[in-house]
Amino acid sequence: MSQKDFQDHQIRDEIKISYKYTMGGQSKFFIDLMNEKKLQGTKCKKCGKIWMPPRINCSDCYENTDWIELPQSGTIRVSTIVWYTTSDFIQNVPYGVAFIQLDDADTALLQGIFSENLVPSKVKKGQRVRAVFKRKEDREGKMTDFFFVPEDEYESWIEKPEYEGGK
Amino acid sequence: MDKTYFELAYDATKLALTDANENGAEITHKDLESTVYGIYNELFERQFMPDIFTNSYIGMNDKPGTRIASGGATGGYTVRIAFSEVASGLSDLCLCIGLEKCNDCYDEQTGTTTPEVLNAIAYSADMTYEYPMGMMAASSYVSMVNAHYDEFGNPSEEQMALVSVKNHGNAMLNPKAQSPMEITVQDVLNSRIICYPFKMLDCCLYSEASAALILANEQKVKELGVENPIWITGVGAANTDCFIGNRESIGRLYSNINAAKMAYKMAGLDYNKIKEQIDVAELHDAFSGQEVISYEELGFVPFGEGGKWIEEGGPMRDGELPCCPCGGLIGCGHAVGATGIMSTGEAALQLRGDAGKHQCTIEKGRAISHSIGGPGAAYAAVIVMANEEGLKKP
Repeated sequence: MSQKDFQDHQIRDEIKISYKYTMGGQSKFFIDLMNEKKLQGTKCKKCGKIWMPPRINCSDCYENTDWIELPQSGTIRVSTIVWYTTSDFIQNVPYGVAFIQLDDADTALLQGIFSENLVPSKVKKGQRVRAVFKRKEDREGKMTDFFFVPEDEYESWIEKPEYEGGK
Repeated sequence: MDKTYFELAYDATKLALTDANENGAEITHKDLESTVYGIYNELFERQFMPDIFTNSYIGMNDKPGTRIASGGATGGYTVRIAFSEVASGLSDLCLCIGLEKCNDCYDEQTGTTTPEVLNAIAYSADMTYEYPMGMMAASSYVSMVNAHYDEFGNPSEEQMALVSVKNHGNAMLNPKAQSPMEITVQDVLNSRIICYPFKMLDCCLYSEASAALILANEQKVKELGVENPIWITGVGAANTDCFIGNRESIGRLYSNINAAKMAYKMAGLDYNKIKEQIDVAELHDAFSGQEVISYEELGFVPFGEGGKWIEEGGPMRDGELPCCPCGGLIGCGHAVGATGIMSTGEAALQLRGDAGKHQCTIEKGRAISHSIGGPGAAYAAVIVMANEEGLKKP
């Protein structure tokens, strides 16, 4: 077919699927987060590795793990600040995301990093951070129930009416 | 003009068959015994199992067809599986084809395409822990680059910008490239911030395209009388932990390191001397900083020296080891499933001396292509190729 004969016809369409998605063995993490503001990791019965995000099985030694409540403070391993993003999040820019290693954990968790002064130097490697939670009535048992803030901003964040301090 | 994914695939298949016939093999699509499809994202194609609909359109019914989906590394992985088809003898002649759409995604809210394309990609992040945080391709890749900088003091924003200048510039000589541009480091640094420290010109453009290779085993190459065949001498692939936070070091991409070592070993090459053993490297430069750290992870220069190497001109078209002479993803566009196949095909054209205006000097007769992708660039594949001369040289 020649270029001249080529015509373009477009339609509007959408792919939409609804879920009632089970968190399976990870469910306790989300239930305790929602109800008790706990950050539950898991510890391998054999090698003792502490997983966060939690796994009910240790992928390193093929053993089961035990639940272990982790401290709510940690350290940033790496971060970025997002200024342009996907259609689902573009209303939120700029926002910070960081891989945060909770004290005692052997792995780092990806989480939102909030700051009154969101600049690279405030969210850089080694920055100490602490978890802040949504109010009980707003928590849904999802990762968005909490986020982290630089340790020195913790008091000012938990004074806001929409947020609460952790345990 | 906009085409459907299967129409794009038809065009690429026809081009590959024409090329085969121009190089001595009298074949049609009816002679191809199997197909391996590299197609990343169903949401781009608006079709699950897009391979079977392509299979119908390109006239490959009643033969084996296998689809590969490995994020941005789909193309490299597809070459790997097509290689195993012919190397194992399951097929003597195999079509290795990658294809991808994307421009059909549309964000009604902003009246633009890009945020919805990025959304379709973002579903590749872990949906439970990572997608809800607004993780996307650029913020995922930038994590490794930032951690690499923390660990090795390199690459700087200026060093990353040099990759963009080089690859947009190389694309000026490639008539098939989407994004040829003559720009400066300052232009890159001044372009809009995407996610710190990546600017818009540090990022490749998404694209839609198809690329195809025809793979044959040694016996079939001889039987068909192919002139100047290019041989795949090494394939390597590795998936590192897709959860970046589980990695021992975030600043080293173990998938890259392991895939490269595996491919070089199979080809009889040396990870520590690879820069002296190959003529061209088509790298996966989805983001400029990623190309710099690949110089180190693929063994071209020691860790921490990738930035310095580009400052010295090492990866330029006339440098020590030209990297992405076709323009790479930054210069050509990133049509995900097709990309690694384009890179492999470009390296093969270089080895044949058929790369046109962006032809590099070929002395050793060997080249590599490199693909990475997926959450935290967990997937990596490296392909080593040689021409007839390259097979003989030590």
